Amino acid sequence: MAHLAVTVNGQERAADIEPRLLLVHFLRDELKLTGTHIGCVVGRCGACTVLWKKRPVKSCMVLAIQTHQTEIITIEGLSRDERLHPLQEAFLKSDAVECGYCTPGMVMSAYGLLLKKPNASGDDIKRAISGNLCRCTGYVNIVKAISSTLAQGKYPAVRE
Amino acid sequence: MAGDNKRTVAFERKGAARLVRGAACYADDLQLPDTAYASFVRSSAARAKISRLDLTSARRSPGVLAVVAFADIMGDIRPIRGPEGPLANCLIYPLPQSEVHYVGQPLAVAVAESRYQAQDAADAVDIEYDLRPAVLDPEAALEAEAPLVFAELASNVVQEVHISSEGVDKAFSEADHVISERLRTQRIAACPLEPRACAAVFDAASGRYTVWTSTVTIHAVRQQIAEVLGVKENRVRVIAPDVGGSFGGKVHPYPEEILVAYLAKRLHRPVKWVETRIEHLTNVRHGRDQIHYVQAAVRSDGRIMALKSKIIADFGATTRFINSLPAAALYSTGAYDIQCHQVDAFGVLTNKTPQGPVRGIGKADAAYVIERFMDIVARQLNLDPAEIRMKNFVREDAFPYRTATGSMLDSGRYPTCLRKALDLAGYEELRKEQAELRKKGVLRGIGMCLVIEPTSAARRGQGGGYGACRVRMEPSGTVSAFPAYGHQGQGHQTAIARIIADRLSLLSDDVEVFAGDTAESPYGSSAISSRSAVTLMPAVDVAATLLRDKILRIAAHVLEIAPGDLRLETGLVRAVGAPERELGLRQITRIAYIDTYRLPPGLEPGLEVTGYFTAPNIIWEPDERGRRNEFVAVPYEAAVAVVDVDPATGRFSTVRYVAVHDCGTTLVPEIVETQHYGSIAQGLGEALFEELRYDQDGQPLNSTFMDYLLPTVNDIPLIETGHMVTPSPFTPLGAKGGGETGTLGPPAALGNAIEDALAPLRVKIRERPYTSDRLWKAIHQEAS
Repeated sequence: MAHLAVTVNGQERAADIEPRLLLVHFLRDELKLTGTHIGCVVGRCGACTVLWKKRPVKSCMVLAIQTHQTEIITIEGLSRDERLHPLQEAFLKSDAVECGYCTPGMVMSAYGLLLKKPNASGDDIKRAISGNLCRCTGYVNIVKAISSTLAQGKYPAVRE
Repeated sequence: MAGDNKRTVAFERKGAARLVRGAACYADDLQLPDTAYASFVRSSAARAKISRLDLTSARRSPGVLAVVAFADIMGDIRPIRGPEGPLANCLIYPLPQSEVHYVGQPLAVAVAESRYQAQDAADAVDIEYDLRPAVLDPEAALEAEAPLVFAELASNVVQEVHISSEGVDKAFSEADHVISERLRTQRIAACPLEPRACAAVFDAASGRYTVWTSTVTIHAVRQQIAEVLGVKENRVRVIAPDVGGSFGGKVHPYPEEILVAYLAKRLHRPVKWVETRIEHLTNVRHGRDQIHYVQAAVRSDGRIMALKSKIIADFGATTRFINSLPAAALYSTGAYDIQCHQVDAFGVLTNKTPQGPVRGIGKADAAYVIERFMDIVARQLNLDPAEIRMKNFVREDAFPYRTATGSMLDSGRYPTCLRKALDLAGYEELRKEQAELRKKGVLRGIGMCLVIEPTSAARRGQGGGYGACRVRMEPSGTVSAFPAYGHQGQGHQTAIARIIADRLSLLSDDVEVFAGDTAESPYGSSAISSRSAVTLMPAVDVAATLLRDKILRIAAHVLEIAPGDLRLETGLVRAVGAPERELGLRQITRIAYIDTYRLPPGLEPGLEVTGYFTAPNIIWEPDERGRRNEFVAVPYEAAVAVVDVDPATGRFSTVRYVAVHDCGTTLVPEIVETQHYGSIAQGLGEALFEELRYDQDGQPLNSTFMDYLLPTVNDIPLIETGHMVTPSPFTPLGAKGGGETGTLGPPAALGNAIEDALAPLRVKIRERPYTSDRLWKAIHQEAS
């Protein structure tokens, strides 16, 4: 067993874990943060995307222990109480959500883009979500949702 | 919905807010205390006898609670029989007795305290196979001397469709041209983003099972669990929690659902299983994989006088009825008026993953074949592909139109739709542009298609053909709705709430939808076959209307006014012409539930009704020629694709994709639009790179998302859409179902466009998907 201490959505969390435990399973099974989904476990579908050290990563490609003494943000950390993040609002308004399984990962990838490049172009948007698969929407409304959030230009910075 | 004029805010799909928050509950998100985890041991052989299955070391693995194979469960389970036909001779168990039929087939299952421990134990199972040569080529499997996939059957052919109209041979003998072709659709998988998953608990005190499973077909899963475990079905409750897409993959029961329920009882603990993507790609029922031999008797002006189709479908090692075969056979003439038609279709077993529905099932194969074939004929006769289609379409005044197979095309304006797509694309200009580009050496191609995608299947022995929904007005005047089945992202709650709100003068927000639970849903089919808009929503309409009528009868009795002179308004019933005479909805519900002595004599208490809708145009019994009608409505779509092919690399790029869709009346236009894009995207994946391949031993060559590719955002070209509305005369709301049509277009339109681009090189494209290596080889073989 290895000791892991990590900040998740602003809260300090600690656990003794198996070294082989994937970050996504730590988040889902240990912390019960089930908004992060699993679709492939080969880093291809992006359903498990979270922010690690303020950058989007696929949490099925990271061992939980690698995140020791660092910071993670999951989809649950994006909305505050009842208030949705503008990106989440935009996904609703643009009808970018069907079955919803890819949505949290998609939102987190987009959130990573917002943090890194507030003036991102359409191509940037496509690049940012090119590692996130969606089988329902054909991506059209997802791209729309992200562009409209960028166009608004107001979104809270990452939760410290 | 036209009547919903209370909607003043921007469109928002009902129930979507919890999805964007990550607060949904998919099957793997369930937190049942004390859950144990299951992991399946799967065959690594395509066709073999299991010569040794040693569970000893697996059972010693840390955290293990049980490791079971056939011998350990045989006393507790009952086999089921295959469907009507040859497969009825097969006894089917959830784990095999001694032989395996495809790579990935579950052989044994390990249960442990954690996910990882369960997988460790499954990996520790020791198996030896006595390998037999795998049966992989469906055409070879048809031969009399072919090895049998299932030893208990007389042949590998397990399903057949034969329909023939009179005068086919005569038409061929008199034809100006006889044109033949062989076309094939490749094997694909549904690939919803959420893999399958299930969890079960058994309550020993009541003898009841509760199974949460990521399924489309709750009632069928319950039925099969009960049958195999030998319990009454009312002791099994199946709940589909949030389901992360299906596209056909989560339809019908799977062995894992039965075994997880079984293990929950055996271990007195909740048991959960979550499919990995490798398991998905080797176990979720595959689709397509049909070979079509098509032959046409053609007049020199391009009119097709007769058509012969021979279809060979690779069913894999199926033990179920496969709807793709009749669907492909019945609609093999597509949107065309070809009354002289003969179709012979064979469903053949092979040692591959069993087949099942995948979005567009069967109809996708038929549409691809006839739409590619129209171009092949046009090229041979030097006709424009638009012209040959216009010449052969079912005329707009001929609907409802019965095809030579008896299938009913309910309504449609095919020539108008294609014309609209061509105009939207600027077809004349595109041809001019193409000629200019060709002079510069650019290989530009223009392809088109008009695909039909019949919906809401109903078939003897398979069910379908009706919808059911229960609605209850609560004492407060709000409404709870219980449709027969749940949804997988299609947005049914929004449509259901709108219909009910409209009929009962409520706000959509006053309607709550409870779906996907056999304990509360009326018995019924499922969302497969784009059935919801076609048969479920009319049932919702019937239920809401029955409820309104009852409300008005109660009010009529109290107000002493005839029901016909009353109107239901928001929160009250008012007399027409005497607006001061009114009765509040809460007073009415009070009479219905509490002060029942005030009900009109003979009227039963309560405000809870179940509405049914039965499709009026299903013809269940085939006639002497095999003709019948298995589908209710026929949405369709015309598409025009423009591509550039790079002969040096074999890559093509889609410059434009124009699609004009007609799915009848749209119940929620925003939802139809979103779903339409996704539907086209799935077809693009099929055209671009989705293909499940096997080697000569029956080993799958691609079983992860690293090698089975789904389209990403970068693979979607600019999609330009147009819509037409031709209501179906057979559904009261006029809706035809819009979930699948878009998927059918890209393989045909892009195939035609690529071949058009390569026409100067005289390169033919007869295989799909249109990968760069396939195109490169075709270009360079032709050149050499």
